[in-house]
Amino acid sequence: MNASGNDATAAVNRFGLGAKPGELAGIHDPRGWLNAQVARGSDGGNAFAGLPGSLDYLREEAQLQMTRRELKQGGRGRRAFLSGDMQAASQDGQANAGALKQALKPYRQETRKALLAEAAARYRVATVTDTPFVERLVHFWSNHFAVSVDKRPARLFAAPMEREAIRPHVTGRFADMLLAVETHPAMLLYLDNARSVGPNSMLGRRIAMRLARNGDMDKGKAGGLNENLGREAMELHTVGVNAGYTQADVTEFSRALTGWSVPYPRDFANGKQPQSAFVFRANAHELGSRRVIGRTFPDGGFEQGKAILEFLARQPATAKHLSMQLAQHFVSDHPPQSLVDRMAKSYLDHDTDLAAVYRTLIESPEAWDAEARKFKTPQDFVISSLRAGQVELGNQPQPVLALLENLGEPMFDPRSPAGFTDNSANWIDADGLWKRVQAAEAISARVAQTNAQPLAFAQDILGPLLDEDTAQAIRRAESARQAHATLFACPAFQWRA
Amino acid sequence: MLTRRQFIANAVIGTATLLVWPKLTFAATGSDTRFLFVLLRGGLDGLESVPPYGDPGYQAIRGALALSPSAAKPAHKLDNVFALHPSFDYAAQLYAQGQFMPVVAAAPPYWGRSHFQAQNCVENGTAQPDGAQTGWLNRCIACMPGVNGLACAAVMPLTMRGSAKVETWSPPLPTEVNPILLQRLQPLYAADTRLAAPFARAVAQQTDSPVPESSAGMMSNGKPGKKKQSGLPVMMAAAGGFMGKADGPRVAFVEDDGWDTHANEAAIVTRKIEELDAGLKAFHQSIGAMWGRTVVIVATEFGRTAHINGTGGTDHGTGGSMFLAGGALRGGHVAGKWPGIGSGELYQDRDVHATTDFRAVFKGVLAAHLGISDSLLESRVFPGSAAAEPLGNLVGPARAAA
Repeated sequence: MNASGNDATAAVNRFGLGAKPGELAGIHDPRGWLNAQVARGSDGGNAFAGLPGSLDYLREEAQLQMTRRELKQGGRGRRAFLSGDMQAASQDGQANAGALKQALKPYRQETRKALLAEAAARYRVATVTDTPFVERLVHFWSNHFAVSVDKRPARLFAAPMEREAIRPHVTGRFADMLLAVETHPAMLLYLDNARSVGPNSMLGRRIAMRLARNGDMDKGKAGGLNENLGREAMELHTVGVNAGYTQADVTEFSRALTGWSVPYPRDFANGKQPQSAFVFRANAHELGSRRVIGRTFPDGGFEQGKAILEFLARQPATAKHLSMQLAQHFVSDHPPQSLVDRMAKSYLDHDTDLAAVYRTLIESPEAWDAEARKFKTPQDFVISSLRAGQVELGNQPQPVLALLENLGEPMFDPRSPAGFTDNSANWIDADGLWKRVQAAEAISARVAQTNAQPLAFAQDILGPLLDEDTAQAIRRAESARQAHATLFACPAFQWRA
Repeated sequence: MLTRRQFIANAVIGTATLLVWPKLTFAATGSDTRFLFVLLRGGLDGLESVPPYGDPGYQAIRGALALSPSAAKPAHKLDNVFALHPSFDYAAQLYAQGQFMPVVAAAPPYWGRSHFQAQNCVENGTAQPDGAQTGWLNRCIACMPGVNGLACAAVMPLTMRGSAKVETWSPPLPTEVNPILLQRLQPLYAADTRLAAPFARAVAQQTDSPVPESSAGMMSNGKPGKKKQSGLPVMMAAAGGFMGKADGPRVAFVEDDGWDTHANEAAIVTRKIEELDAGLKAFHQSIGAMWGRTVVIVATEFGRTAHINGTGGTDHGTGGSMFLAGGALRGGHVAGKWPGIGSGELYQDRDVHATTDFRAVFKGVLAAHLGISDSLLESRVFPGSAAAEPLGNLVGPARAAA
């Protein structure tokens, strides 16, 4: 199998997440290995079982808000205040502040526990999965549809979005993934659509009347159009910024999306149990037909926005935009146009089916070019180290999260709806390399030291990429730990070649 | 017995402690001035940061978000039209000393309202998002023989990409590196054509750091949910620490994000401007006497809609505010032509009309403060920018330390 030795390393590194022990040696047909993964789809069902769904998180947040409101406004303190008993009111106010703190404490602990459980599951799956190509695709689409958790209302929902909206569609139709994402609470809260109100909707007019009564000072407090999601859904998620759409297209699309929202706390009040984490609020929806990129979409409530998303997903500009991003991710920062065109054609010929696009990528000779390679992003670097060392994180992902943050790619926190950069040039610098050496040492400290054959270990992981000088450095290591650190820190390990 | 630290010092790199900035050789050339560019990503709202409280249209268009020197939480009055956001306490003091200056209704030459395209233009210094693959500040440094730049960022920003030598700096990881491992890695990296140079720099940089103890303490291992270690005050303090040295970098870059205020803008802007204000103060303190020879420009990719949107925020707009500061600045007034925000005065009936091209300000500072010739400014740093004439009279004679 020597002839395909380099193809096997490409399959494992360029397309996969880096080798875990034994993986490289087991690949006899690199293209078949990848195609079989596409056929299998997303892994990790069991790893994620037991994690709460978005609706659970929404319910918890709603309960917290109701508790907070009750403690702030209700109770004896308010009655005492109204009856003029100021001393009782003041005492009760202080008691309430303490009670509020007490009520928030378990919630904060629960939230932190949930976020850690999400992270633990995500990196455990990445460390052990037998379908690393699909797992890489999951991470790719998560970053394509970036939700940044530095925005407080979206904080709990980025990880569930990956499980609920990305994974089920990662080898399915892009149009379906797009709809799942744009109706997910993570995106609706992150890009502010959950509270976007059509100015001429029932709710919008009621707000306008209230404004007219109360004067300008209420302006902006609630109720009106927000075009954040409409714009980014076109610019980043589908057709791309150079597709030739106008401000009018953005505004029209945003109007169509009014009413796309999440259950509010009051929807959970008095024992009510919403059945879905997505709510279409007809009373906030701007009625009327909408014109987007030259096509008119008749009024139809939720179906209108859905039809526009389907239309956007099928645009040739979307095919090109997504194919370019995939080719840049897998092949090189400047992929051959022939490859991008072929992938875009597959996309359009197969009704936005992503599996068809991946198969075209796998079957394209350009993708296997020996010169094509990508510098690992910090997350690539960390995951490939965890895989090589089969690091057991258990329920303690904190050290990995700290590393990702220090290396410049904190989990679900790109600080921008554009996601983390996928351009190698942006990740190569002195400071970043130094931190990788430090990280390599930190991770090597967590590799189970059962491997007494450091050189064999390095050969197993790097295969033909292990050059003589690196082998020499590993042979000379004075401990297994140092051998692991050398492997993770060596230049050959920094490339997805 | 040698400590590991000493071992490195002797065996590997030659000097001092680990994990910190560079003892780079920043050659002092010509007049030894300093320039810091601060980029606020996300789109700072000009009508909040520099409220035109004296404009007759302001109160009506801004409603609940309107600010004024006579409000319960007063904005800092600058003149009869403009004020500074209430959180700009330190900036207001600098303004009173002529060391701070807002420019109103400013924008890059791109008016398309995309964050990323607009940031590209602010960074590449052209009117096109893909108009250049290098940054204007790097091209500026390339015009200054012997001068190096510093980008306080984990990842090299476009502003600083190009042929001139620029280092990145960000708060380090707390662990030390095993010197033996380092020894083994050096020849391996030397053989990797793409990684050899940055790795050699990484090793060379492990010397003495001017980062103040207080901020170094914040750089212990970051945990999720903890406050970010890299906010503007930390990064600007670090930049000032490097730039304040006699042989420190003359040109530096700091960035920040989180300025995209589509919802609940009042609270976010208050917090973010507090950070910027604290950053200016931290920078002034850490750069020390060099402040008198320094100009800072703070810019963002666009202003925001004049009207409030439906969620107590504002959407992507056009004209916004930029800020200049520094001991070498001729400040203490508001610059830029104000287009008004009454009916018929808004751009596309929506945004503050931009009347100042960013490049006019950049060129004015680069010419007067860094001594870049007009011909280099036109041909190399900002090609195709002839229409944006450099703003004059921005820089005064260097001041003694405040």
